[in-house]
Amino acid sequence: MSPITTGILGIVLLVVLLFSKMSVGFVMAILGFVGFSYLVSLEAGLSLIAKDFFDIFSSYSLTVIPLFILMGQIAFHAGISRRLYDTAFKLTGRLPGGLAIATVAACAGFSAISGSTNATAATMATVALPEMRRYGYDMRLATGTVAAGGSLGILIPPSVIFIVYGIMTEQSIGKLFAAGILPGCVLSLLFAATIFIRVRRHPSWAPRGPSVAWREKIRSFAGVVETLILFLLVMGGMFFGIFTPTEAAAVGAFCTLMLAVIRRQLSWRSLLKSLVESTRISCMVMVIVTGATVFGHFLAVTTLPMALASWVKGLPLPPPAIMGVIVLVYLVGGCFMDALGMIMLTIPIFYPVALAMGFDPIWFGVVIVLVTEMGVITPPVGVNVYVVKGIAATVPLETIFRGALPFVISLCILVALLLLFPNLALWLPSLMR
Amino acid sequence: MVSREDRVKRFAHFMNWVAAASIFGMMLLTTTDVVLRYFRRPIPGTYEIVGFLGSIAVGFALASTSVNRAHVAVSILFQRLPPKAQTFVDAFNSLVAAGFFGILTWQCGALAEDLRQAGEVSMTLEMPFYPFVYGISAGCAMLAVTLFVDFLDALKTFARR
Repeated sequence: MSPITTGILGIVLLVVLLFSKMSVGFVMAILGFVGFSYLVSLEAGLSLIAKDFFDIFSSYSLTVIPLFILMGQIAFHAGISRRLYDTAFKLTGRLPGGLAIATVAACAGFSAISGSTNATAATMATVALPEMRRYGYDMRLATGTVAAGGSLGILIPPSVIFIVYGIMTEQSIGKLFAAGILPGCVLSLLFAATIFIRVRRHPSWAPRGPSVAWREKIRSFAGVVETLILFLLVMGGMFFGIFTPTEAAAVGAFCTLMLAVIRRQLSWRSLLKSLVESTRISCMVMVIVTGATVFGHFLAVTTLPMALASWVKGLPLPPPAIMGVIVLVYLVGGCFMDALGMIMLTIPIFYPVALAMGFDPIWFGVVIVLVTEMGVITPPVGVNVYVVKGIAATVPLETIFRGALPFVISLCILVALLLLFPNLALWLPSLMR
Repeated sequence: MVSREDRVKRFAHFMNWVAAASIFGMMLLTTTDVVLRYFRRPIPGTYEIVGFLGSIAVGFALASTSVNRAHVAVSILFQRLPPKAQTFVDAFNSLVAAGFFGILTWQCGALAEDLRQAGEVSMTLEMPFYPFVYGISAGCAMLAVTLFVDFLDALKTFARR
């Protein structure tokens, strides 16, 4: 078999085995090992896996992942997510679909201290779904909002996907984070608009919430102050070059912990729970990263990525059209694969293409993150939808997918906006040193 | 009486606590370093220790993450299979993964031994690398055992059906 044929066979097998419910990271590591050994030698394959596992597990730059996850976990167990939601609810409760809009706002706020989309979706589902049910919201709207709102977690920093992208492409994680802020805000507004329009059409989906006095509204701002401080500390520290990302994550986690302890919002039990949960989530993420690294080394010896890249580059199409093709590949792939695995597998292929066509690496990162964000809410493998289903067990899966689908339109609008106005992503990072 | 499965699970969770302590340590050490740096007294070698702690944090959590089924997997087609086929695929997957992590245990052990004999140490603190590679090897060994127990479980279910 020629190396390229082996590579294609490897990818086909990858998809088949993924559907057999073997863990994503395991499948990639095992296939990568077998393929590499077949193409080079068994001896080389054996030493490749040991080296890859050690290198990734002990990588300093990747330690930022467990630390940001810990920060989000402590914030959740200390009830910060709940307070964010309460504030947002008091501000928007009277609007049509106000509770759903509040959910999006709270998701955006929680994304600002949590690094993972699943964690954001799970957190807000726990907090917001019971409230929306209590006020008689239609479950299609409610669950769809939580699933889509959770996807803000990948775009609004800190974001695990940006970290992984930054490490793979040797781009500044701080700049990537800064690049995600404005598109994240625009996306939150687009999500809110989507809800507004849907509720205008189907008023019965979202009965109005109670009215809240202005004084009460202003007072409720106390609930978001801590989140704002934490966000400014973490992002500001990176923005002005005071911290490395790992340091920002460690300081952020520590300050969240201190805040929770001073306000007496965290028992020993919840602290231990946050720690154990963070350990498992980080382990899951790191195993996928490692598996994809092994698989990536296999792909590299097949020369498939290079062949594909030069083929795409040679297409008789203008760069924006090629970009469109890449986006399409991610859209389709994202339907079947987990966001992180997808990024890890495709960046080695498409990143060189994007650079060769003169696209900005930071801008490309934002676009890719956005497109994988669609993947987490589209069927059949929309991770966020499964997370929400895990918490709202009585709601059928189809209902959640149908509820989340209109938000995909907002995501498409944002991708178009980014293509037209790259500065939406690039302006903030350009201010950094 | 404590069954074999329970004992394996308990040990996996115990290792997870070590991993959790490592993450906590990473947080404390890095924060202290940042604060002390302000007073021009950074802790030398923070960078290295955090990397090493990271390897323990992930390596020791492998088995427990697997026990809790927290490794991401795609179940959309799998769910459509008849129950008997599901158990069969389950058994097969667990055995293959157990085999892979068995090999990895052996290879990490070999890598650790190489590093020990070569006397490889880190740059600032001159700490040897090999104990941490043995640590990852131990984590992989525990994961292989857990996966093998899963395989035995699936076989038992398969025989009963």
